[in-house]
Amino acid sequence: MRVLLMGNPNVGKSAIFSRLTGSHVVVSNYAGTTVEFTQGVLRTGDDSMEVIDVPGTYALEPTNRAEAVASDMIPGGDVVINVLDATQLERGLYLTLQLLMTGKPMIIALNVWDEAQKAGIRIDAGMMEELLGVPVIPTCALTGEGIIQLKTRLPEARSSARITDNGVTLWQKATDISKKIQQKPDRQTTFRDKLDHTTVHPVYGPLFALFVLLLSFGFVAYFGEFLHEILEGIFAFLWLPVALWMSGLLGSEGLLHDILIGGLIDGEIHFEESFGLLTTGLFIPLAVVLPYIFSFYLVLSLLEDVGYLPRLGVVVDAFMQRLGIHGLSIVPMMLGIGCNVPGVMAGRMLETRKERFIVATLIAIVVPCMAQQAMVIGLLGQAGIAGLAIVYGTLFLLWIVMGFLMNLFLKGESPEMLIDLPTYRMPYWESLWKKIYMRMSGFIRSALPYVLLGVFVVNLLYTLGAIDYISRAFAPVITGLFGLPGEAGGALIVGFLRKDVAVGMLAPLGLDLNQLIVASVVLMVYFPCIATFVVLFREIGLPDLLKLTVIMILVVILTGGGLHLLLRHAGF
Amino acid sequence: MNRHYFHTMHKSLIELNLREEAEIVSFNGSPLMNRRLEGMGIRQGKKICRISSQYIRGPVIISVDGHQAAMGRGMAAKLIVKPAKTNGV
Repeated sequence: MRVLLMGNPNVGKSAIFSRLTGSHVVVSNYAGTTVEFTQGVLRTGDDSMEVIDVPGTYALEPTNRAEAVASDMIPGGDVVINVLDATQLERGLYLTLQLLMTGKPMIIALNVWDEAQKAGIRIDAGMMEELLGVPVIPTCALTGEGIIQLKTRLPEARSSARITDNGVTLWQKATDISKKIQQKPDRQTTFRDKLDHTTVHPVYGPLFALFVLLLSFGFVAYFGEFLHEILEGIFAFLWLPVALWMSGLLGSEGLLHDILIGGLIDGEIHFEESFGLLTTGLFIPLAVVLPYIFSFYLVLSLLEDVGYLPRLGVVVDAFMQRLGIHGLSIVPMMLGIGCNVPGVMAGRMLETRKERFIVATLIAIVVPCMAQQAMVIGLLGQAGIAGLAIVYGTLFLLWIVMGFLMNLFLKGESPEMLIDLPTYRMPYWESLWKKIYMRMSGFIRSALPYVLLGVFVVNLLYTLGAIDYISRAFAPVITGLFGLPGEAGGALIVGFLRKDVAVGMLAPLGLDLNQLIVASVVLMVYFPCIATFVVLFREIGLPDLLKLTVIMILVVILTGGGLHLLLRHAGF
Repeated sequence: MNRHYFHTMHKSLIELNLREEAEIVSFNGSPLMNRRLEGMGIRQGKKICRISSQYIRGPVIISVDGHQAAMGRGMAAKLIVKPAKTNGV
């Protein structure tokens, strides 16, 4: 049996989903589209049924791709659980009535019940059940209240005999029903309203946003560093003896030793610089990158679940409009800071080709992923904050200039934003953890093989003498234009596979500050890693990907060359 | 002010004073956009109030039926409302 969980966006549908299903959930694409939905299993006694968290929708006549998927999914379901927000009853009832008209067996979860009570809203659930002709269960997904009743009464789900097409519009019906069953007091201003208001206030809103962003990135940097040091200690304590033992077993040299353990530095294994599969190949993703990725997804998922992201979108909208995209485009870009792959995929939510192209291009070129940033911070941070400030300042400037120019020259529409601003909510921890876990495991699954492959390729290239060849071939650009030693060419090649490994290759080269800054910027700006490239191809298509590539080559040459000259003149 | 004008005092949401109560009369945009607004509960006959506007042509924050939403200026200019009180005009 297949259960569809349907409702407006932001009614706590995902929290209900988390409560109903166990820990095993699968995210999939709806056939033939790029819209994602989540699937899980609900066990009641001996029975088990499939539960699908259908994308949120306001109505069954779709106005965008996600809504089209929602209405397409109805015929494939056996039962519908309609989730309603008790504080937004009338609006939710419109969809409820449309769902009832489809004749599918249905049951209603009247969610956010506790908040409605607190706000003094009284809803007669019994009368609602009678008027609509299907079971109505008050729930609070946050505390789990009502979930057991929802499960036990699920078999009572039925199609309604009470809702018929009698000429009255559905909106009118929704208004009439909500008037009958609901008593709503005049709203009083609460602390949360004030917070709501402050965070989108024309003056305090941007200040608050700046505060939140600085706090978030500060947290990511410090907490990431903290976790990194712990993991570094674990590596040194537990893994180093094993690696040393294997190194001895392999005779401390030879091809196999170089590939598995890497080069010994003064007879010792150096996790950052040895560059073997079992040393640097494991150390980079697990001890350097993972701590920062975790810290980042922790903060981002929290901001998302609390409900801050739409407000951040509002605050930056006026500015982003100048880049040809509306404020909500900040969401894919923030995701891109974690990893470009989900960032580019999230660009789907934008409506026009122009917007999707601008967002994809900005993510691919000027939004460095956390894996790369973790390595750059490690490399440049030692030389003080100035180098990092120049790198990030350059990227920020590029972001603005590129967005502005693309908006100027690209044809097409950039629609305005329209978004609901749900009240701030306490996150439901279990679904928050589930989300972080899914994002982390996605990273490990997709990144670890590529890192190992990258390290393997580095060793192969060195053994075959290919690095020398490439360095000589690209010397005019790498040395002449960017002022980097020829060996840096190897890093640029490996950058196709993984950017973090590429940055790692710079460590043993002994670069000065000027070179470190230029190399970091060039690596961040030029070709995104192969995984991002594949996703870009899928999302924006070949013609747009070629266009993006041309833009990127121009940008990397201009920025890398210009920065090198500027820094030399400034005396770096 | 003559009586006729008094009765036909419809404004766009942009022209409405901050925090002034009004009732939605119509939306002069595309049918698709109209459906999206309706779905979000922003429809004819609903009480609406403009809470704030972001600077440099940023979006407008509105309150309808006890919930808030943000919409672009162009959209807000097409949303026609009737102020609840006419403030002594």
